[in-house]
Amino acid sequence: MTEAVVPARPRAASSNGWWGMVGFVATEATLFGVLIGTYLYLRVRAVHWPPPGTPEPKVVLPLVLAGILAATSIPIFLGSRAATAGLARRAQAFFLIALVVQSAYFGIQVYEMASDLDEFTPQQNSYGSIYYTLLGADHAHVAVGILMSAWLVLRLVSGLTRYRLAAVRAIAFYWYAVSVIAVVVALCLTSAAL
Amino acid sequence: MIGCWIGFGVVCFLLLLGWLRRNREGLPFGGGERAGNALVVILGIALPVALLSGLFFWSDIVVIRSTAAPTRGSTRLTVRVIGHQWWWEARYKSTKAVTANEIHIPVRVPVDVVGTTDDVIHSFWIPQLNRKIDLIPGRQNHVLLQANEPGIYEGECAEFCGLQHAHMIATVIADPKPVFRRWLANMAKPVRAPSKPSEERGRGVFLEQGCAECHRLRGTPADGDVGPDLTHLATRRKLAAGTVVNDYVHLAGWVADPQHFKPGNRMPQVPMSGDDFNALVDYLQSLK
Amino acid sequence: MTTVLTPRAEQRVERLHEIWDERPGVLGWLTTVDHKRIGLLYLFTTMAFFLAGGVEALLMRTQLAQPNEHVVSPGTFNELFTTHGVTMIFFAVIPMQIGAFGNYLVPLMIGARDMAFPRLNALSYWIFLASGLFLYAGVFTGHAPNAGWFDYVPIALRRYNPGPNVDFYALALIFTGISTTIGAINLVVTIFKNRAPGMSLNRMPLFCFAILATSFSLIFALPSLTVDLVFLELQRKAGFHFFDVGHGGDPLLWQHLFWIFAHPEVYIIVLPAFGIATSIIPTFARRKMLAFPLVALAELLVAFIGFGVWAHHMFATGLPLIAIVFFAAASMMVVIPSTIQVFAWTLTVTMGRPLFKAPLMFIGGFIVFFVLGGLSGISFAAIPIDQATTDTYYVVAHFHFIIFGAAVFPLLGGLFFWFPKVTGRLYNEPLAQAAFWLTFAGTAITFFPMHIAGWLGMTRRIYTYPSHTGWGTYNLIESVGGFILAAGLVLVAFNLVWSRLHGPPSGRDPFFGGTLEWTTESPPPHYNFAVIPRVSSPYPNWDVADREEDAQDLDRGTRVFDEGHETPATTVRDGYLDDVLEMPSESGWPIVIALCVTLLFVLVLLSHYVSAVAFAGIAALALAVWHWREPEPEPL
Repeated sequence: MTEAVVPARPRAASSNGWWGMVGFVATEATLFGVLIGTYLYLRVRAVHWPPPGTPEPKVVLPLVLAGILAATSIPIFLGSRAATAGLARRAQAFFLIALVVQSAYFGIQVYEMASDLDEFTPQQNSYGSIYYTLLGADHAHVAVGILMSAWLVLRLVSGLTRYRLAAVRAIAFYWYAVSVIAVVVALCLTSAAL
Repeated sequence: MIGCWIGFGVVCFLLLLGWLRRNREGLPFGGGERAGNALVVILGIALPVALLSGLFFWSDIVVIRSTAAPTRGSTRLTVRVIGHQWWWEARYKSTKAVTANEIHIPVRVPVDVVGTTDDVIHSFWIPQLNRKIDLIPGRQNHVLLQANEPGIYEGECAEFCGLQHAHMIATVIADPKPVFRRWLANMAKPVRAPSKPSEERGRGVFLEQGCAECHRLRGTPADGDVGPDLTHLATRRKLAAGTVVNDYVHLAGWVADPQHFKPGNRMPQVPMSGDDFNALVDYLQSLK
Repeated sequence: MTTVLTPRAEQRVERLHEIWDERPGVLGWLTTVDHKRIGLLYLFTTMAFFLAGGVEALLMRTQLAQPNEHVVSPGTFNELFTTHGVTMIFFAVIPMQIGAFGNYLVPLMIGARDMAFPRLNALSYWIFLASGLFLYAGVFTGHAPNAGWFDYVPIALRRYNPGPNVDFYALALIFTGISTTIGAINLVVTIFKNRAPGMSLNRMPLFCFAILATSFSLIFALPSLTVDLVFLELQRKAGFHFFDVGHGGDPLLWQHLFWIFAHPEVYIIVLPAFGIATSIIPTFARRKMLAFPLVALAELLVAFIGFGVWAHHMFATGLPLIAIVFFAAASMMVVIPSTIQVFAWTLTVTMGRPLFKAPLMFIGGFIVFFVLGGLSGISFAAIPIDQATTDTYYVVAHFHFIIFGAAVFPLLGGLFFWFPKVTGRLYNEPLAQAAFWLTFAGTAITFFPMHIAGWLGMTRRIYTYPSHTGWGTYNLIESVGGFILAAGLVLVAFNLVWSRLHGPPSGRDPFFGGTLEWTTESPPPHYNFAVIPRVSSPYPNWDVADREEDAQDLDRGTRVFDEGHETPATTVRDGYLDDVLEMPSESGWPIVIALCVTLLFVLVLLSHYVSAVAFAGIAALALAVWHWREPEPEPL
């Protein structure tokens, strides 16, 4: 190796993997921006929103659920910090706590969506179409996050490496973004009840 | 346009200069930096900003006033144009006049054309008279048409609308006012009665052999609205939205085999006896 | 500049070869993660698509050469113009720029040994190839897309277009969007983090700035198209209501979302070409680019302002006047960064000692056509002119001058310019000059008369026109021009192939270029640089002292990074060394995942949604296994 050229570890700057996740989040966030923009566009053009015959959305439950998902950022953050300090077990534990809550959130949301479908469908009108598309995209992103967290928790069984630390930071960043998006989506969809 | 030629000229001049100096020795490798930068700023920023501001003011503040949509009620004549695949329906507001593909307007009178569509997006455009307006489902777009000279003005549909987008030509004919008034009054009338036995037979063919399912002849039981209103078909210069001329040969050809001239359009070939066919064409030719 | 290597240096080079060389033969190419090989795969594939698009164009020009011809049916003509547009934009020009040129050159120009994510790079290629084949499966089964490359609704909806044509269109574009997004993210991270230590952002070549601007644009523009296409497929296949008025939808929603993507897309088409121009000009003008920071900034500004002008494609739709005037003003603003660049390029040539070899000739042609196309573009910001000329051949003339003149000409110039680097041989100069003139003439003759035809009322996408319009003369000239243009391109291709087989050896640096790719061998070895180069300016190959230091470094062992499959990572802004990265070697996972994703899209096309989700799951599993093996498993 070359001397006096490589800095002493740990690194100061963010890893390539983290930057890659930032890029991915940028495109996904834009995707949600477009979906929400569509929601607002269709809403502004409509006379009644939701249209007559379509029930108004629930307000309390979606916002509470979004808040819970956002709150999982706390164990995620603590887990990320633990990993940076080299504490594999602790990081794993925090991510596991978050994963359990996130999975429960996901389960409830799937149930809620199924019960919504009994009342109105996306094939009825544009309100239904954008409602289910936006919500479905949101839940799909949570599902992907759950899969990534599950992978991470499993990997951490055999301890931390620099690679896994980069993964921890990147996945944590993903979850912060998904939390923000979930809150924004919940606010957007519940606003129809106002 | 002048700005265009100036801009183009400057660039060509510079490239030419470069060509003339090819293979030269002499200039230091990175010399003339400050002069070069200054030129880039002047030519690349200052000059375009000045020219563009001028263009913006001229076209988007001054000229645009004459191409803007007319305000409601500002004209005495309003024509509703409804786009179909692949023909133009025209209805004259506050009258019973309905026609297709050939729209008459009085000379030197501003006309509000209100456009929408029955199916896909089309675009109504008569280049010599004004800009185009898209005909969009659920929307009404307006354009002002005013012809200062009598004449025949044509325009192709200007938004891709399917197989026969190429054969969807609108004709606007500017008539002197008295001529226009007579035309409009005629368009409002129901269909002419047959005056010869062959026309009588032709009328029967029209009503019984399926034409009535798609076409309307006001004043008869024929009230289909899939295809154009044919009440005054014989007054039109062309057929099938400008596809063929409206004379005996082409009318007969069209009725015999519409797919030959405009493949993919909605009019089927209806088999019938030769006598029936001749009578039908005679009848259609009588619809003045 | 050939150097005789010391024995120690020889040893280090041997080691690098051992570590970095890839498997020979087909298997090597299928599992490659080397950015140069991936760049070449992109190049050959995009050339094939360019040929397909060209054939489609010539068929159309033959049909339109005279009024009332019957060379192709109306339905076929609709498929031709749609597929021509989709192929040229999504499968030829853009992937050639970022997938071929970007992939091949960026790591070399920044002094890196590979892209930030080599396996992801391979994945983006295989997905690209699969998506193109998917589209052409539609073409060859008689269901080519047929509603225009912008596929407006309602004509793209099931009611007016019941066959799978539009489904092929929508799914192929979502599919290829995955590849493009991955590629863009990879380029951004590479440019941010993998530069040679010492290459701060202001010492980065302008080509890389152009690629950076393009990649940012792609990341923020593609989601709008993806959402639009998803809406379309949900409406077509699952009965959702986004675009039909009767159920609260709006056809203009399609147009807004489409153009929010597609206007930045046209800047994406030209920006890498600007980058190619800024590489060729300093080399052949034999002086540094004038106003370097302004040009770099202008490249980023074009991308940025380009997001704010989309509705100028919709001036005839009846938008409120205030909105239209805003977009016209923004459209004028976006001109300024382009004029800055045009004059910087031209003045650099004027104030240099230009050597008019083929690459510079093509750039000269590029400047001429870009200025002409830009001027007609400016005319669209004059709203009354736009409302008269939109959807006519005037627009077709404008964008072909821009796409052909401003994107393809630099690509052709770039092919000749970097040909020696990639192949180690020189192209034939007189033949290249002849090809240039033929292509230049062909482009001018084909596309200039279209301005006039459009101005006279010839609308777009018509398969024929009446003879009394007088458009026949112009169309005939254009069609003849099309064949001249094709001849020019054939000559270019012939030159490249012939020279690849019989050209004289070129050495490392036949043109004395300024950037780092010229410091290494031709063609570059798999590891690119034996020594990661020292960088003190944007023209490192002209910094003789640094290059001599590099030679010494190889002997001393500094900056060689040969303890493993290594390349350095640096900080984003200043390029300080941050880490030494262990890069992955060849892998079969990219091609496996590409196959899974292909099956996913085919199943969605055939409406077998459950199976499609199953394949998504398999792809996810493959991804998990791909990431199981770590580059440096040593614990923290």
